[in-house]
Amino acid sequence: MKSAVTVPDAGLKVQGARRADGRNSTAPHGTKRPSWRKRSLPWAYMAPAMIVLLLMTVAPAIFIFYSAFRNDKILGGAGRFVGLNNFVEAVSNASVRNAFGITLAFVAVAVILEMILGFALALPLAAQTTANKWGAALMLLPFAVTPAVAAMVFKQLLNPNYGWVGYYLGFLGFPKGVDLLGDPTSAWIVLLILDMWQWTPFIALILMAGLQSLPAEPREAAMVDGASPWQMFRHITLPGMVPFIAIAAVLRTIQAFKTFDSFKILTGGGPGESTEIINLGIYRVGLQSFNVGLACALGVIFLIILSLLVPLMLRVIGRRSDPEEM
Amino acid sequence: MTTTSPSVRRGLIARVIVGRTFLWAWLLVGLVPLIFMLITSIKPAGLANQIPPAWVFTPTLENYASVLTAGDGKSESFGQLLFNSAIVSLGATLLAIAVGVPAAYALTMRDFRARKGLSSWILSTYMFPPIVAVIPIFVFAGRLGLIDTYPVLIIPYAAFNLPIVVWILRSSILQLPYEIQEAAMVDGASHWTILRRIIWPLLVPSVATAAVLTIVLSWNEFLFALSLTRSGAKTAPVGLQQFTGMYGTDWGNITAASTLIVAPILVLMIVLRRQMVAGLSFGAVK
Repeated sequence: MKSAVTVPDAGLKVQGARRADGRNSTAPHGTKRPSWRKRSLPWAYMAPAMIVLLLMTVAPAIFIFYSAFRNDKILGGAGRFVGLNNFVEAVSNASVRNAFGITLAFVAVAVILEMILGFALALPLAAQTTANKWGAALMLLPFAVTPAVAAMVFKQLLNPNYGWVGYYLGFLGFPKGVDLLGDPTSAWIVLLILDMWQWTPFIALILMAGLQSLPAEPREAAMVDGASPWQMFRHITLPGMVPFIAIAAVLRTIQAFKTFDSFKILTGGGPGESTEIINLGIYRVGLQSFNVGLACALGVIFLIILSLLVPLMLRVIGRRSDPEEM
Repeated sequence: MTTTSPSVRRGLIARVIVGRTFLWAWLLVGLVPLIFMLITSIKPAGLANQIPPAWVFTPTLENYASVLTAGDGKSESFGQLLFNSAIVSLGATLLAIAVGVPAAYALTMRDFRARKGLSSWILSTYMFPPIVAVIPIFVFAGRLGLIDTYPVLIIPYAAFNLPIVVWILRSSILQLPYEIQEAAMVDGASHWTILRRIIWPLLVPSVATAAVLTIVLSWNEFLFALSLTRSGAKTAPVGLQQFTGMYGTDWGNITAASTLIVAPILVLMIVLRRQMVAGLSFGAVK
């Protein structure tokens, strides 16, 4: 602000520029040591976080890629190299194929339904009224509930003998004493409803924030020009919402692939293997049957499938968070 | 507005009514599981799983008292499990913030060439499925004798929340005017001084958001806690299963325990509603 400050400031900027040039050129000019220190400094700040992440994601990834080619058992001591046997078993095993298939189906159906319902909820919720402030707070409640607790509560509500759902649906003519978790179709519907109950609010709140950030002028102009509500939605609201829809869809897809708690507690994969998604399959093979090799082979396949989502996530979230940086 | 035809206006009004009806129907039906949980938890013994459901009764806290004391074939009191959950969540949060703040700062240093690649790498670890990590961690922890200890949960929880923590902090540092940092550098301040004296005080609200998110997500975690603990470090969500024991489910106890797990999280989430959604979307939605 004062001239006494701006003069050295300008001088330093020139120096800085010169330093930057020196670093870019191949000749070190005898300033190697400070520039090395300067360059290593950000790495020092990064190191602790990188160590934690390397330990918990990269090291496990290396482990599963290694173990997938061996027949180690957790309790049986070290096994040996078995080549592609685990992968052959994984691919030829019908229940494994079933697990991958129903996982993909669950993710697709849950995400699509939650996106549609979330949008339908976000539209009325976006109007900034006092009632909607309460609405948004209420909206958050299911989303805040611990997933394991939500699954336990649903299990009680659905209890064939004492549950509220069976009792009150009885008044609507539904048969009493039916175990909704005992039949594959109704078990799937229950799992989807639980997922929608818990996660649609997350999507609704993201889309609500998106709707509130859209400029009002284009809508007002279109209204003056006599556009129908559908035309305004189709040609103004929807195009403006594309980035928010993309963020919600990508995040929700990744989260849905990680779903474990509700399936483990509500159905445990049953009845039969009808709801055994891949997360439950890997858990059962690896941590209950202790077949580490096969579990790791399944993990490798699962990891590769999920890796396909990474570029999408980087594009949608990375660019949105800071357009200049990414 | 005034030039719209009556038919268009009628369409708009109808749409608003349908939309609001759907919204409030969803919100009210969505409350049912929570109302069930809360009401059942204060029902006296014998009424908890009575059909038709009892709606008139004398509320009691006996279920909470029973849950929080040991005995009745329970290996540990639920209070101990809540305590374990709190230690693990707070430990994971401290670790995530301690390693996340310097990392986020490094990722905004303009002369750090690897910052874009590293930011993307950290973000991409969000995709990493916990089920894939849990088997190797189980094996490593078993060899190191760490199964059923606090660190075996604290470290994975910190790691799996780091992408969110680092991205929240990084985007809030990027939003600070860079001139402040430049001015401090001119005055000869080191990076460490800039981080501690200038950035940290301005970053406190974002750190709070990131910390609360990490607490909530660690508190709610189930898979690692189920796989890596037995009794000593068992967390409350896993301990909930103990109420569905051999003697049938004690509905009063299980709903009281459920309420104890959920209550602190609900309070935190409602207070910081807007920040929570922004944080969980990696700062992509403000």
